[in-house]
Amino acid sequence: MRTLSYLLRESWVNMWTNRTTTMVAILTTAFTLACVGIFLLLYVNLRAAAGWLQDDIKIMVYLDDRLASDSVTEVEQNLRGDRAVASLLFISKEQALGEFKAQFPSESHLLDGLGQNPLPASFVVALSPSFRSPDAVMRWADRVRQVAGVSKVDYNQDWIDALATVIRSIELVAIGIGVILSAAAVTIIANTIRLTLFARREEIAILRLIGATTSFIRIPYLLEGAVLGALGSTLSLVMLKFMYELFRQQMRTTGRFAGLDNLMAFFPPSVCVALIAVGMGLGFAGSFVSIRRFGEAKA
Amino acid sequence: MRTMIQLIHVSKQYDQRPALSDVTLEIDKGEFVLLMGPSGAGKSTLLRMLIGAERPDEGQIFVHQKNVTTLKPSDIPHLRRKVGTVFQDFRLLPKKSVFDNVALPLLVQGISSADIRRKVTEALRAVGVEHKRDQLPAGLSTGEQQRVCIARAIVNGPVVLLADEPTGNLDPVLTAEIIELFKLINARGTTVVVATHDPLVMAQVNRRVLTLSQGRLLPEHRVLV
Ligand SMILES: Nc1ncnc2c1ncn2[C@@H]1O[C@H](COP(=O)(O)OP(=O)(O)O)[C@@H](O)[C@H]1O
Ligand SMILES: [Mg+2]
Repeated sequence: MRTLSYLLRESWVNMWTNRTTTMVAILTTAFTLACVGIFLLLYVNLRAAAGWLQDDIKIMVYLDDRLASDSVTEVEQNLRGDRAVASLLFISKEQALGEFKAQFPSESHLLDGLGQNPLPASFVVALSPSFRSPDAVMRWADRVRQVAGVSKVDYNQDWIDALATVIRSIELVAIGIGVILSAAAVTIIANTIRLTLFARREEIAILRLIGATTSFIRIPYLLEGAVLGALGSTLSLVMLKFMYELFRQQMRTTGRFAGLDNLMAFFPPSVCVALIAVGMGLGFAGSFVSIRRFGEAKA
Repeated sequence: MRTMIQLIHVSKQYDQRPALSDVTLEIDKGEFVLLMGPSGAGKSTLLRMLIGAERPDEGQIFVHQKNVTTLKPSDIPHLRRKVGTVFQDFRLLPKKSVFDNVALPLLVQGISSADIRRKVTEALRAVGVEHKRDQLPAGLSTGEQQRVCIARAIVNGPVVLLADEPTGNLDPVLTAEIIELFKLINARGTTVVVATHDPLVMAQVNRRVLTLSQGRLLPEHRVLV
């Protein structure tokens, strides 16, 4: 008990004695981690958006124009029997024409000139959740193209794919920046701990002489690093949350992207806790690095 | 079982300059030994080796039946809990009270508060600085600081007490007092080794003297200095 309170007190005394350095370390760590956090937040939000779009994906299955109506029923039954299909909506040639005219009134004369309705009948298909990934959608479409009576299968995968590419690049950038800035955070904390170790080298030498184990000597410094990291990442989350609210506010008042502000999300509590834990781990790593170096330099 | 400290053909070099050359010696349990020799003779090097702070290039060292030369780094703290050390420059923690300084060797072993209080009080009483327990080291005279240092070295009840120039910063009167203290500690059964180049100490102690000269142990009847 006394030993534990001694170790905690030592960590506290270390931090309090070097409070300026400690504050600077926490602030720089916070700014560093906030930079990573911005990308992470962007990434999380874009991924969520891509997820919604992907979930919303509708596949048009156009039917052969010469198809008899009982063959249409056959295709429909075929589709209904498909495990991947969640829902199905039939659009007849006439409905298609009506929709076209409603959507493009000025161009409807183009169709009038043709004499007969050139638009094919189609099924609008929504896939069940487990078949909505881009790959699964593509495989499904390829399969259905082979079905007799189907002339064409179409879906808006292109720009979803484009978004996925953007997300992947952001992911790469986030990982790159995350690795670099995490290393920076580790270095910042390592330097702070190094200063403490240097200031207390006499004391550490004495502790060694009187029979303190290596772990006993290390614990206060590891604790200090972990606390610095945890405080740094907590502060970075506070800063991010503040920026996030400010941004949303801005979006609301300018009126642009109306509604989008409600779709934006901050990290859920579990992720916040995980990020604080990561910060703690980085701090721990930083002080470990310093302790190892210090240990090698000792007489 | 009678032997407490044993060196067998121990040699140590620093940058190709020998600090200890082929030293063989034995110190029995309960002995009080002076390690004499001029500055640079290798006294400190020898003492540092006894607590595993320095490894010999050649030879074997045994302390309390333990081969210090082959001790794992993780076992060294346990050796040091059995061997108390006292230095010329005291090495007290300036920001901790006398009590906390003396408590430190017990604290690092996770001993209970009640035991710590009892043992520290005992050690402070043994060296006669009980009344200064709540002061900081800086508020004490040099003689008192050295007493606190000795209290810290004996608070664990060590089997061996090593002192490196313990009177180097003290005047003759204080030197005599500190030597008396070592004799008392020795009388209670602790093996004591005091390294010094101070002839005054030798006159006072009048016990077995080992003399080092340029890293070599001189035959025991020849006492230089
Ligand atoms: N850490 C060290 N690095 C290099 N040389 C050392 C070191 N420690 C001691 N020496 C050298 O070893 C010799 C013995 O030193 P030391 O054991 O301190 O002697 P003493 O304590 O008898 O004065 C001296 O020549 C000293 O310069
Ligand atoms: Mg010396």
